[in-house]
Amino acid sequence: MNFASTQFVPSRRMGICEPLPQIGMWSDYKENNYLDTSTPAILEVDSRFDNQSEDTSHGIVEPSNKYDQEVSKTNDKQLRRLAQNREAARKCRLRKKAYVQQLENSKLRLMQLEQELERARQQGLYVGGGLDTGQLGYSRTTNPGIATFEMAYGHWVEEQNKKTADLRNALCSDITDLELSSFVDDGMNHYFDLFLMKETAAKADVFYLMSGMWETSAEHFLSWIGGFRPSELLKVLEPHLGPLTEKQSLELSNLKQSCQQAEDALSQGLERLHQILSETVADGLLGEGNYLPQINAALEKLKAMVRFVGQADHLRKETLLQISRNLNNRQAAQGLLALGEYFQRLRVLSSFWTSRPRESS
Amino acid sequence: MQQALPYINLPFTTTSNGGATTTAVEVPKLVAENAVVIFARSGCCMCHVVKLLLHGHGVNPTIFDIDEQNEASVTGELSKIIGIGEAKAAGRPQFPAVFVGGKLFGGLEEVMAAHISGELVPMLRKARALWL
Repeated sequence: MNFASTQFVPSRRMGICEPLPQIGMWSDYKENNYLDTSTPAILEVDSRFDNQSEDTSHGIVEPSNKYDQEVSKTNDKQLRRLAQNREAARKCRLRKKAYVQQLENSKLRLMQLEQELERARQQGLYVGGGLDTGQLGYSRTTNPGIATFEMAYGHWVEEQNKKTADLRNALCSDITDLELSSFVDDGMNHYFDLFLMKETAAKADVFYLMSGMWETSAEHFLSWIGGFRPSELLKVLEPHLGPLTEKQSLELSNLKQSCQQAEDALSQGLERLHQILSETVADGLLGEGNYLPQINAALEKLKAMVRFVGQADHLRKETLLQISRNLNNRQAAQGLLALGEYFQRLRVLSSFWTSRPRESS
Repeated sequence: MQQALPYINLPFTTTSNGGATTTAVEVPKLVAENAVVIFARSGCCMCHVVKLLLHGHGVNPTIFDIDEQNEASVTGELSKIIGIGEAKAAGRPQFPAVFVGGKLFGGLEEVMAAHISGELVPMLRKARALWL
């Protein structure tokens, strides 16, 4: 008779950890792979003991009296309980590990959300918190073009995060090359949308764009003429494109060089503009009469700033286009994903930086 | 035929017109006889950028300074040249305007795009702006 085994059939949800209150949330992880691999072990253990108890009941060696039967049953119970304890403890440890992982991810997500919330505040969509109203006042009351841009950019970032997550899932799944290519096109076009938005904003107030007030602090620190530096981007992307053919490596190397040259040319052009502007403003200092002519001349020079930001964005676009021409769909998708994650991390870094505990003076 | 000069020795600006005495009638001749010509307003920083890009490839472009006096006539001449080449409905040219091999190549954007895509060098070679 097998009544001994029925008493010890383990419920998958029960374990020595069960009495502890916080483990309730760990039960979310019972679907985890870890548990899947552990359950067969329990079944094995069970079947072993089942067989043994069967043998003792029907086998050759039979206990001579009722006392011996009890002893062997007790041994069975103990062995089974020890095995169950081991398994339960193991499951517990694995659940704990998964829980800690989830906590850390949540922390990062929280930082991301806080950053988006701050952006929403700046756009006047949500009022609250003790942020400096300087930026708020500027964007809302003085320039409608900039207010529009800020709102649009906030949405753009949200969309970007969604697309990055979708792309990550797509790359992990069994996706056709055609579907992947549409992901790539979509991702690239999203960046191009941003450049169009910036073009409009530059006409409204180019210095707003150049000041980086629309970017997070880390992004702005790394920026060049109102946005990311294309050659730097190529360096970030390169290791994540997977194995490259010799032709691809060569073309990437050429592209890096061309980018660098173009960036240098634009940078030098900008320096020249600085020089010219300074000279124009300083023309005829300590002179008689008013300096309105100099101001007007300088105004004309400042207009060139709008073109510089436009040219920088144009360079960014051309670089993205060129690199995608040289890669296959999977490589391009991986590159876009790496890019999306890179900027996400920069934004989170900025949040951490803003909220770090200040040293007491 | 333009000579390809080493980058270091290139002067800061090379202008074919000595100042206000240049007339717009010389424009077609300039475009036809020089491999690379840039038409730009005086002190234009965008022109400086184009120049630097071309210098990087070993090309020394001819630069035509546009000022208030000659702007109208030069624009007229250029429109004629462009009109013959292609039926461009774009109207008056934007400055800086880059001519390669006697034809309008475009502005800074076009030069930049060609530079990045690798199409610029073959184009320059074809126009005999450089040989290497």
